[in-house]
Amino acid sequence: MQFGIFTVSDITTDPTTGRTPSEAERIQAVVAIAKKAEEVGLDVFALGEHHNPPFFSSSPTTTLAYIAAQTSTLQLSTSTTLITTNDPVKIAEDYAMLQHLAGGRVDLMMGRGNTGPVYPWFGKDVRDGIPLAVENYALLRRLWDTEVVDWSGRYRTPLQGFTSTPRPLDGVPPFVWHGSIRSPQIAEQAAYYGDGYFANHIFWPEEHTQRMVEFYRGRFAHHGHGDADQAIVGLGGQVFMRKNSQDAVREFRPYFDNAPVYGHGPSLEDFSRETPLTVGSPQQVIERTLGFRDYVGDYQRQLFLLDHAGLPLKTVLEQLDLLGEEVVPVLRREFAALRPAHVPDAPTHTARVAARRSGAAAEELTVR
Amino acid sequence: MTTRTLAVLSAGLSTPSSTRLLADRLTAATVKALRQRGDDATVEVVELREHARALADHLVTGFPSTALRGAIDTVVGADGLIAVTPVFSASYSGLFKTFIDVLDPDALTGRPTLLGATAGSARHSLVLEHAMRPLFAYLRAVPVPTAVFAAAEDWGDGDGGALAPRIQRAAGELADLVAGRPATARPSDPFADFVPFDQLLGDQA
Repeated sequence: MQFGIFTVSDITTDPTTGRTPSEAERIQAVVAIAKKAEEVGLDVFALGEHHNPPFFSSSPTTTLAYIAAQTSTLQLSTSTTLITTNDPVKIAEDYAMLQHLAGGRVDLMMGRGNTGPVYPWFGKDVRDGIPLAVENYALLRRLWDTEVVDWSGRYRTPLQGFTSTPRPLDGVPPFVWHGSIRSPQIAEQAAYYGDGYFANHIFWPEEHTQRMVEFYRGRFAHHGHGDADQAIVGLGGQVFMRKNSQDAVREFRPYFDNAPVYGHGPSLEDFSRETPLTVGSPQQVIERTLGFRDYVGDYQRQLFLLDHAGLPLKTVLEQLDLLGEEVVPVLRREFAALRPAHVPDAPTHTARVAARRSGAAAEELTVR
Repeated sequence: MTTRTLAVLSAGLSTPSSTRLLADRLTAATVKALRQRGDDATVEVVELREHARALADHLVTGFPSTALRGAIDTVVGADGLIAVTPVFSASYSGLFKTFIDVLDPDALTGRPTLLGATAGSARHSLVLEHAMRPLFAYLRAVPVPTAVFAAAEDWGDGDGGALAPRIQRAAGELADLVAGRPATARPSDPFADFVPFDQLLGDQA
């Protein structure tokens, strides 16, 4: 099982000091956070994509390539890549390039985005969200899986004799997760392709995540990729920790109360009860996180949101220390002990290249 | 005998509330009218006052609390709806509208609905026709022709007053629609109604 962090790249005023970091500071902070994630033993760093203030991450592959150059084991991912408004040709090219530079340590998570004006800014219509996600991803798969592509669709100019370069590393494209908060249609898309499904799991109650994951697992089996419990599931989560849980609550409350997404709404206590948010001691985070398995089954990837809402870099790095030293080693051991042998581990480039080779060898034997 | 479900949405704020009083009168009359048409009815009341904070939270976070989720499911899943609001500033109350705002736009499509409103004086009565009815038309609900307004003075009328016959007529109209409703006219389940992906892909498959 993989553990990591994901960030939305917001530039938010620290409500306790009134200070707003500059873009330059935040961009360097995110690089420091990613490097720290590897240093404390986490597996994954995922970065969002946005095209409007107060976010800086308009160009995730640039940032991820820079991080790749300064890390050696960290898996680089996105949260999310906009499959609706990006040209699928550009996604195919950019992420294949990143895959080569990072030595295969790349996967990505497709999302439709939640900012209406992004669609018109990129010449698209927000009402076409689902059809764009369907057509663009179908083209992206063709570009990665087929060398020479002839294609025509509704949303971009046709392609004749087009080859996307560079070709995926070792002939194996980056693994793809599909993220969706509320649309079963996107879970169906993930299931159809045998791709991973990532439940945001931050803004909605656990019953909702449970239904989405159960639906995805059922459809994964329906489309013939394996048993339902072999589907590839990732979950988000949101934590803030201090050794003493009362200290965690006291320190995090002003950030929670003023957070751009849910601030000025429910109380920290209500939100902690209704969603997976856990503010407390490392032990409380361990117990809550192990409980996720009770309603989604054995899953492959757990990403935490630590870096948001104006939390200073120093605090985020302290959170990473706690996560890496006290939480993840226990979770890794406990989840591994519970996972049956037939449930696959999280996909990596190395494993997928090996699987492809043994698959090709088996096919050759059958032909003979 | 078919058992129908009636959801009662009451946006009154005081306790006791004349809005709830009108809602209860409309409900009792509708249950009776359904029985006369050979149907039984179960009634579930949603008092919006109990969900006031959860509604504000929903606006901010985008998801309902567990209790509010239950209230929404009650209203969305009923065979018939009785919706009653106090008149605030020439319209339905903000609390009432907030509940409507957090429903999916098509959640009440085709739903037989009885509209009611209360206020201090009869000068507000056209709020039912100028605010409530267009709102439910937008939702593609099916409001019955008689909407019932109760002013403070109506509660002092004797049996010969104007309120009781209006309640009877409106309840009869709602019962006619609910009793005639096919049993399959239930709200859609997104997990059952998705499009299989090969169909969605069409000729790109």
